[in-house]
Amino acid sequence: MNTQRIGAIFEKDLKDFMKNMMLLTMPIIPIILSLIYSRLGGDEGLPVPMLYLIVGVAFSSVTASSMMTMMAEENEKKTLRGLMMSPASFMDIIIGKSLVVGLMTLIALTLSLLFIGIEPFLKIQVIIGLVLLFLFFLFLGIGIGLFTKSVAATSAYLMPVMFLFGFTPMMGFLGLEEDSIVIKIADLFPLMQLINMHETESWMSMGVVAIWTLAAAIFTYICFKKERTDD
Amino acid sequence: MEHAIKVTGLRKVFGNHTAIEDISFDVKPGEIFGLLGPSGSGKTTTIKILTGELGQSAGEVSVLDTNAGSFGTADFKSRIGILSDNSSLYERLTVYDNLKLFCKLYDAPLDRIDVMLEEVNLKEARSKVVSKLSKGMKQRVLLAKALIHQPELVFLDEPTSALDPGNAAHIQRGLQKLNEAGTTIFITTHDMEEATELCDRVAFLNNGKIQELGSPDALRYKYSTHAFHVETFNGEWLVIENKTENADKIRDLIASGQVKAIHSDNPTLGQIFLKVTGKELV
Ligand SMILES: Nc1ncnc2c1ncn2[C@@H]1O[C@H](COP(=O)(O)OP(=O)(O)OP(=O)(O)O)[C@@H](O)[C@H]1O
Ligand SMILES: [Mg+2]
Repeated sequence: MNTQRIGAIFEKDLKDFMKNMMLLTMPIIPIILSLIYSRLGGDEGLPVPMLYLIVGVAFSSVTASSMMTMMAEENEKKTLRGLMMSPASFMDIIIGKSLVVGLMTLIALTLSLLFIGIEPFLKIQVIIGLVLLFLFFLFLGIGIGLFTKSVAATSAYLMPVMFLFGFTPMMGFLGLEEDSIVIKIADLFPLMQLINMHETESWMSMGVVAIWTLAAAIFTYICFKKERTDD
Repeated sequence: MEHAIKVTGLRKVFGNHTAIEDISFDVKPGEIFGLLGPSGSGKTTTIKILTGELGQSAGEVSVLDTNAGSFGTADFKSRIGILSDNSSLYERLTVYDNLKLFCKLYDAPLDRIDVMLEEVNLKEARSKVVSKLSKGMKQRVLLAKALIHQPELVFLDEPTSALDPGNAAHIQRGLQKLNEAGTTIFITTHDMEEATELCDRVAFLNNGKIQELGSPDALRYKYSTHAFHVETFNGEWLVIENKTENADKIRDLIASGQVKAIHSDNPTLGQIFLKVTGKELV
């Protein structure tokens, strides 16, 4: 790892992000959604699942989506080759990109939460949970970005990521039975665990989210190994 | 360093297709070495193996006294420059920002950007967005990128193929200058004139094998019929073999005042290629 090279990748990707309309519109989604929600809330504020729905939208539509788009584009336009043939290591490249994605997520999430009320999130346990969830989506984005060869192909992968992991609280609005199998499984998903943690302050839920993050990291590693080995 | 590049018994197989069967050659430090061959003969594959982008199936490869196992190190990568056949630039960024990225990745001083833009005749495009450039301009930015860190050895995969004759000639002069300053150049090209002009030695690659290797002059001499073509003022062409007993014949012709010109019969590299491989070099 080399900080100058990470800095160079960061600078390049930040400039590129600011000129890419497709990437630039993604952070607007959670912000607009939270603006709409803030009108619905009334005096006692929004229910916790609604707050976390915004978080899920921000992480899936900004973190995972921009990471996989950026990587897929480097693959598609063959620019990744130039980076790989330079002294920059793969780690330098990924970290440089992750910093850009992290910055954009932070801006989008902070703005969104400011509209719907940021106070419930200003607790150390909640922040740690959010960081873990960010890493979960980041790893998914990197893993998928590694094997998608074109920007167009990413949307096929982004949809399930969004609906399964970003919009999980929506399950509650489907009117399914409390004890239906779908709800039970959905309750184990990272976003639902964070909601549970928020309501009960259980560290157990944090552990479950950590396991999800670890699983996403392993998924990324497998994608990386697979990409390295085929010519 | 005895060899800039040394390749022995190199073989590359893709699935059940053998792209390179068995090639051996070496490139001396300070040399311009040309790898010539028709489309699909394995030129790009050879460069990819020499730069560590692909692994070989068999054989030994050593570049700048480094074995293939260490081609991935930052130290090795910063000693070589690469212009690959389909490398590309960041289209939304300016020429300057593209070069700045690579300056920083290679730890080269930023003032190299303007030096290189001058070299490739693109000073006026400095702050242009890459997507607005022509193909030939992009190619020249890529060349600037490949040379920005002053590598000891550069691999150029058809560097002038997208350029008009004027810019191609400009780049060729630039490469000659670069070589005079000590840079070793490994180049692939379809352009036989370019190879004749530029290369100290060339190798003909065909069907995964090197079929001929030597300096352009030596090859042209080797495949020459060793005859003189004498052109007379009344439009006749006489072919006279280069033999001692023909000396008087040529002397008499010149003395008679009929001779307009005497040409040697050295074939062009393109003709030799056709003869050796049975293929046109396109
Ligand atoms: N990654 C790959 N997988 C499978 N086959 C490949 C791969 N890369 C190259 N080949 C095959 O290897 C052979 C040599 O290809 P290569 O690109 O080295 O040719 P080339 O001499 O550079 O041609 P050109 O002049 O068109 O650039 C071709 O038959 C090609 O189809
Ligand atoms: Mg090629």
